[in-house]
Amino acid sequence: MSQDFLSVDRVTKRFGGLQALGGENGLSFTVSRGTFLGLIGPNGAGKSTIFNVISGVLKPNTGAVYLDGQNLSETRPAEIAAHGLGRTFQTPRAFPSLPILENVIVGADSAGERLGSVLSGHWRRGEPKLKEKAATVLQLVGLGNRMTESVASLSGGELRMLEVARQLVRDPKILLLDEPTAGVDPSLQGKLSDILVRLHEDGTTLIVVEHNLHFLLRIADSIVVLQNGELLAQGSPQAIRSDEKVVAAYLGADHAA
Amino acid sequence: MNFESLLVAVLTFGCLFSVLTLSLNLQYARGGMINFGIVAYFAVGAYAYAIVTQEPPSGLDQYLIGFDGPWWLGFLVAGVGAAGFALLTGWPTLRLRGEYLALTTFAFAEVLHSFLLNERRIGNGSVGMANVERPGISWGDVSDSYMFAVAALLLMLATIVVYRSILVSPYGRAMDAVRDDEMAAEAVGKDVARMRFEIFVISAVPIGFAGALYAMITTLVSPDLFTAEVTFFVWIALVLGGERTMLGAIAGTIVLVLFQEVVRGIPFETVRSAQIAASVEHMLTGAIFVMILRWQVFERISIRRSLPA
Repeated sequence: MSQDFLSVDRVTKRFGGLQALGGENGLSFTVSRGTFLGLIGPNGAGKSTIFNVISGVLKPNTGAVYLDGQNLSETRPAEIAAHGLGRTFQTPRAFPSLPILENVIVGADSAGERLGSVLSGHWRRGEPKLKEKAATVLQLVGLGNRMTESVASLSGGELRMLEVARQLVRDPKILLLDEPTAGVDPSLQGKLSDILVRLHEDGTTLIVVEHNLHFLLRIADSIVVLQNGELLAQGSPQAIRSDEKVVAAYLGADHAA
Repeated sequence: MNFESLLVAVLTFGCLFSVLTLSLNLQYARGGMINFGIVAYFAVGAYAYAIVTQEPPSGLDQYLIGFDGPWWLGFLVAGVGAAGFALLTGWPTLRLRGEYLALTTFAFAEVLHSFLLNERRIGNGSVGMANVERPGISWGDVSDSYMFAVAALLLMLATIVVYRSILVSPYGRAMDAVRDDEMAAEAVGKDVARMRFEIFVISAVPIGFAGALYAMITTLVSPDLFTAEVTFFVWIALVLGGERTMLGAIAGTIVLVLFQEVVRGIPFETVRSAQIAASVEHMLTGAIFVMILRWQVFERISIRRSLPA
């Protein structure tokens, strides 16, 4: 278990009477450090739910999630994020009262967010560096020339990229992306896959939920398939592609094409 | 009432209550917390000042403690006391959202009010404490009342400086993020609960100072000075001025204080006419609020100011 960076251990989650995750025995899978894991499954398979459980937004009914050996059951989302876990949301979230650049800078853990350094004015020293870093990241996601604009001017796909940028500026150790290519145009998708490949090379652990399988199967090195909240299969993209259960349940015609 | 004393009164109480409006602006417009018990922190400041500075009880006094301390000590204790009360009330309540927080803060203020009313050993109960020490701060020929106006102005300016330095810093940015979208802010490691708590406690300090200054000026603290009316006064001032800017908060407060002082200054021959005037005041107040809100007077001014030239 020591080299498993993230371990989902017999997790179940129910909403009212509905068992959203885990079935009878609970959902278990592990992710070792530096893996690029693709998480796929039909709608309602529990992909976003497991993201919410891992990031602490939802608490599991039974079972636990371990990050770097630490049980996250009693940990609040902000603390989990501070442990180096970054995530995006299925519906992109932005801070409308902040301009685009500030929307990204706010992702960084700035010393200026501690009151002591606020009142002493100490934070001013770190600020230019943060700005520069945020600008670089925005350039990467194709929003480099929109930095002073309001987030209201962004399209759905651009909001997704903004959210990715806000996470990138934090240098997360593990990054969870929920459908990062949905509504994103092909040229930006290319940029995004370049970014993900580079993060992967740099050793960041990635978990990406995606319906765009061509995108995912090309760049991920391991795939987890969920169905009805349970693990259907886990393996390399090649193995998943030829797994009969997966093909039947999910890939279907899309894969045959 | 002549023009000069009207001006001094408006300046004094305008600046004094602006401190409360500014604090509410920070808590509500930037921190997303609805505090309907702001009067409680004001009252704690005033009572703390009175208790520290008054002489030990004698004669008919029913209170038990009086330290006869210097005014500056009372002033400091007022700030600390208000922050302490914010710690005490913020801890259990700040996890609540929106209207639930509004209700609990309102309840806390009411509890404090009844406590001060009924617990005579703290502040003489409903009688309150008269003859609260007033520091002799006259300066040459300049009288006390001018100096208190200056003191209120200084307190307001200091409050602005501190709040501004918070808001322009990364802390203010994180506050905006938390208010806009808590879940997204938590996803980048912002500790929503901690930030709210800090803002709540910090903004109570100037309110406590304002309470002490209020006690010095009126030389009286009693429960009926600290009713929910004060809370609503501050809220109305904030709504009038618009929550967008500090300038709006101040403008709203000063207009409201000016209106009250002008009405208070009108002389009446009979009790009957004073009663009628009191009713008319309420009607006029309502009409003015509707007009200001309808045309968003202060909001427009502040928007025009913030536009690039």
